[in-house]
Amino acid sequence: MVRLPRFFGKKRGHRRTGSQALASLGDGAFHAVLLVAGLVFGGVLLSGLAVPEWRINHHFTPTTCTILGKGLVRRTFTEPAGGTTSTWQPCLRVRYEANGQPTEAWTQPSRTTLTSDRDEAVGRLTAWRLGQNVSGWYDPTNSATVVLERGYNWWMWLLALLLPGALLAFGGSGLMRAIRRWGRSEERSAVLSRFTDLLDPLANGPPQAADHPGVPTCDNLVNSPGTFLAYRLPIESPESWTLLGFGLFALLWNSVLTVLAIGAGLDLLGGRTDWLLLALLVPFAIVGIAGIVIFVRRLVLATAIGTTQVEIAAQPLRPGQSYELLLAHGGSGTLESLAMDLELEEQATFRQGTDTRIEKLIIWRKPIQSWRDLNLAPGTRFEARATVTIPDLAMHSFTSEHNAVRWSLVVRGTPVRWPPFVRSFPLVVFPAEATP
Amino acid sequence: MSFVAETFPSSPRVFVQFCHGDRRYNPLDTLDVHYQVDGLGDETVRAVERTVLWYTEGKGEEDLGVHFFERIIDRQRLPPEAVLEGFATRLPLSPLSYEGVIVKIRWCVRVRFFFGGGRDFVSEHEFTVGRIPPACIPATTP
Amino acid sequence: MTDGTTSAAMTTRLPTNPFSTRFTRPGMLPPLDDDGVPVDVGRLLTGLHPGGAAIEGPHGHGKTNLLHAVLAAAVVAGRPTSFLRVGSRGWAWRALSMIGLARPGTVVGIDGWELLPAGLAGLLRVAATCRQATIVATTHRPAHMPVLARCETSPRLLAAIVDRLPAHGGCIAEADIDEAFHRHDGNVREALYDLYDRFERRVR
Repeated sequence: MVRLPRFFGKKRGHRRTGSQALASLGDGAFHAVLLVAGLVFGGVLLSGLAVPEWRINHHFTPTTCTILGKGLVRRTFTEPAGGTTSTWQPCLRVRYEANGQPTEAWTQPSRTTLTSDRDEAVGRLTAWRLGQNVSGWYDPTNSATVVLERGYNWWMWLLALLLPGALLAFGGSGLMRAIRRWGRSEERSAVLSRFTDLLDPLANGPPQAADHPGVPTCDNLVNSPGTFLAYRLPIESPESWTLLGFGLFALLWNSVLTVLAIGAGLDLLGGRTDWLLLALLVPFAIVGIAGIVIFVRRLVLATAIGTTQVEIAAQPLRPGQSYELLLAHGGSGTLESLAMDLELEEQATFRQGTDTRIEKLIIWRKPIQSWRDLNLAPGTRFEARATVTIPDLAMHSFTSEHNAVRWSLVVRGTPVRWPPFVRSFPLVVFPAEATP
Repeated sequence: MSFVAETFPSSPRVFVQFCHGDRRYNPLDTLDVHYQVDGLGDETVRAVERTVLWYTEGKGEEDLGVHFFERIIDRQRLPPEAVLEGFATRLPLSPLSYEGVIVKIRWCVRVRFFFGGGRDFVSEHEFTVGRIPPACIPATTP
Repeated sequence: MTDGTTSAAMTTRLPTNPFSTRFTRPGMLPPLDDDGVPVDVGRLLTGLHPGGAAIEGPHGHGKTNLLHAVLAAAVVAGRPTSFLRVGSRGWAWRALSMIGLARPGTVVGIDGWELLPAGLAGLLRVAATCRQATIVATTHRPAHMPVLARCETSPRLLAAIVDRLPAHGGCIAEADIDEAFHRHDGNVREALYDLYDRFERRVR
């Protein structure tokens, strides 16, 4: 029996680990291939298309061209199965003055006039008259090169930047990740350099507060001022995401349905009946209508219950400190109960093979304040002030790639005739002020 | 000073001294560590890495953050020439050691020895930062 | 915390939970058969032929762990290895490039073979044969390739795993192991999570 490497030792404290040979050499090679492909592709596009176009717009010298003749350039291709195909390119013979010398040359009137239809190519030449004077630009380093049109082809630039850019970014970051891990201890791999940060920003994990490793940044919590207190807290409502999801589904589905219905309608007007399309439209329409109904029902539910806002006097929070809160709830109707709690939740993510397992556990909850039988009038909102105290020895907020400890204010309400709702407002708690 | 030795059969033994006997530290404290390795036999140490880091433990995948890292390849500072080595670092403000239910945060000193043939041996010594009490399991948990 | 909701003992270091993923994740324990006896990974390795072989079994039955062990044994035997955890169907190209760049004799571990498109999976096997590499793939369903091992579980296996983890200090009884195993229909991964929760409840 082959002796297995001794990283199976069960004792902690000391352990001997095996070779790092399981590190992903193949993964690194894959990303290296992508990176090289990005460089080659980018190089070809830049040198063959982008750079010549940039030179025309920046380096070519203006002149006036006189059209002396018209013609077509034919390019013939032999197909693998036999036979040939031809493309036709309109071109013009022009005379112009370049570097003080009269010069004659053939040029293309436009960059997009290549066609496989000879008659069409001839037709395009009719717009140009012999003897006509037109603006042109010649290459000062090669006066025989002249163009009659300038400007940028934005699609080409987009292609030149996007495709190689994506290959370079994906390949570069993956290769950097593989290099950083290859043959290194996990501690050394975890020490990030500025260079690898630049190429692989995702390696840092979630954004962290300055000088507080592992503590999430609260930038997103302080960018919205409150009406009475310093900050209005962002809401984390699963209901909002569900509503958005149903809305997007209804929009996309019914857009497709509309396009199909217009096509079927035009066919009918033209005296043709596509029975297959009509048969498909019926179940599509049923799903589309159901999507709209569900979305509208959710929307009515969300608006009938009303919006909830929470404002807080300071951010970030510190253990042992108390902070003033404002809870505001709009809408109409009666709320049987409304309660606000302070909660601490742990979240652990484990990815195994194709499974991702996320577990959340609320490990601590403290009621802040609750209200009963609230009658909400349209046009006004319920407002109440409260105070939240972070316990002295509370754990601070924590976030890493797969684990988190989260603080939040959670508002739970039970409207009359509507289902109960839960709305969560995240907080960031820093560690208590340290004294060296 | 505390003096702790953990052993593993047929393996080197690493003795670690912490400047706080109870291995309890506060944020911004200076962590002063000395270590000594024994039982290397004929093995040649090619490099040593000393790291102060935090890692997560629990039901999620293990994350880690390195606070201090040093790789030594100078022969004069490697065993057997160097008998007792040490290093010091000022601890950061966070994260604090945490005894959660499904997420725990541990701080430790790791000393990793690299031998010929790509093999290595790591010794891990835990300490705590801060004074957060263990979390309790809520009564509603099944 | 001070208001009675947390333990009064400050900075108490509770015993380490032996069922943390730190100790149970693939590669941390030797693969065991359903009797709890270590699998002869060396024999599996020598039985591998160019092309590929599959490790079959449902979720949480130790397929990935066995794959890690086979790759580790290949490293010890001096064979080059590479490993890919398939995230989606699109990862087939990554697998193909990995096999295309493999040296002869490489053992290519692919975790999550069933996610690859069926047509491309066949192409991967052909490419591996051409490159004289060997695919070892984990899969939940038949992969139409020779079966290297079928992973099965039993309460004895779970008990043997628990025995190999760091000590639980008597917090876990045999009945807990049996109950956790049956509660999760033989899914050892979920059963270990179950034991994690039991340990946490009893240690505080």
